[in-house]
Amino acid sequence: MSELLDVRVASVRQLTPLVREFTFEAVSGDLPGFSAGSHVQVHMPGTGRPLCNAYSLLSDPQQRQHYRIAVRLQEQSRGGSRFMHEQVKEGDVLRLSPPANLFAPHSRAGHHLMIAGGIGITPFMAYIAALEQRGGSMELHYAYRSGLTDTYLEELAARLGAALHPYDGRAGQRLDIHQVLSDQPLGTHVYICGPDSLISDVCQTADALGWPAERIHWEAFAAPEPGEPFVAELADGRTLAVPGDYSLLEALEQAGVPVPNLCRGGVCGQCMTPYSAGEVDHRDLYLSDSERADHLMPCVSRGKGGCTVKLAL
Amino acid sequence: MTTAAMLSTPVYRPVLPPLPAQHRLLVVQHLALPETAYWQQQLGEEGVPVSLISLNADMEQLCGSLQQHLSQARVGTRLYICGDESFLWKVHQQARQCGLLNGEIELIRTADSRELYCVHCSTLQTIEPAPLVHCRQCGLQLMVREHFSQRLGAYMGVCNDPFAPYGPTTTASASLEEQAS
Ligand code: FES
Repeated sequence: MSELLDVRVASVRQLTPLVREFTFEAVSGDLPGFSAGSHVQVHMPGTGRPLCNAYSLLSDPQQRQHYRIAVRLQEQSRGGSRFMHEQVKEGDVLRLSPPANLFAPHSRAGHHLMIAGGIGITPFMAYIAALEQRGGSMELHYAYRSGLTDTYLEELAARLGAALHPYDGRAGQRLDIHQVLSDQPLGTHVYICGPDSLISDVCQTADALGWPAERIHWEAFAAPEPGEPFVAELADGRTLAVPGDYSLLEALEQAGVPVPNLCRGGVCGQCMTPYSAGEVDHRDLYLSDSERADHLMPCVSRGKGGCTVKLAL
Repeated sequence: MTTAAMLSTPVYRPVLPPLPAQHRLLVVQHLALPETAYWQQQLGEEGVPVSLISLNADMEQLCGSLQQHLSQARVGTRLYICGDESFLWKVHQQARQCGLLNGEIELIRTADSRELYCVHCSTLQTIEPAPLVHCRQCGLQLMVREHFSQRLGAYMGVCNDPFAPYGPTTTASASLEEQAS
């Protein structure tokens, strides 16, 4: 794994009761540059367990002095978002993985159509900054709940004007995906970030309207959901008990079995691991059905309750 | 060697996959092609609107109307090109320049003839399916390589035998040589 960055929390802002924003600066030297759509993994110390979540960088990629992320408190949190909300204060030092990008705006798109659900707005904050600089054509459709997940709404309205299409779920406003997708000029690429249901709705509608896969880009929330405890057996015969609020990847890391990983959200394919026995609850968005017969993504997938999964590790 | 298909050899599907679309655009080489009516009907089957553009003998004019069509088009438009191989790739190239992706273009080949590019004198010529031909311009005997240039819409023809560039003079002398060796 590439070397971790030490950063200091320069400021913390509570944006809504559910969303907190963190600004990080380098403890020494410069922060590495990043491109729009990049994320970092935040390592959370002192939780008695290896906890590490990926968050999109939302600051202007040209701004090299700091990184900014926003964290939504998840009701179903395994501890990551709760830790960020309750423990992290100004002046704290955290470790980050260097930025990686799995969700960059397409360089040849004639028009960028962004669709965000709630906290899914974060990568688009960096997109908008980058597209403004290069004069890219864009529009943003933003579905949120006012007062809870309407982060950056005023700033977006000021920057985008008529290119912002807001939908307040609390006021019953609905994003008509079919209508939006059926009237886009030929060179358009669509980018979706938000809950799985939003991503699959947009993908299915686009598909039915004849959008080819190359024009559709999405990023799911990169946080594994908790599940049932199960047992992992390693190739050397060692067994690990994986608690319900640990991902398999975290359990392996804690046992000193590092697995390469990038998104920690089941989309990048980095952590692919072969297994030979056990019933697996596949939760990734990466493997094909046939690959699932003997491979799993330990960052999100896990053994079904109580069973033993034999890993070829 | 020449029979193994190279990566650059285009593959034309005998049956088109049923791809969803908001709009279909059919570009045919000649209105008189028997395929025209067939595909116009096929493509419109689920009630998706189909527009038809035909060559009318003038490639430039065709490209103009294609460009105009595509500048108004929405994502969800699929392009179907119907004609001989060189026609297919000329229109394909034009469509790519207008912003269509490969996945949005289907090719329907109507004739077996191929275009051959003589790498020695740069002449493009239509050939029948045969592995060896004589260049119409420089007369060299060319081996038809399966390497296909999408830009030229043509296969590459290279000199088959540098010791007999215009081919064996008579079949008799060729068989004599064989006996000698
Ligand atoms: S780390 Fe990306 S799929 Fe597991």
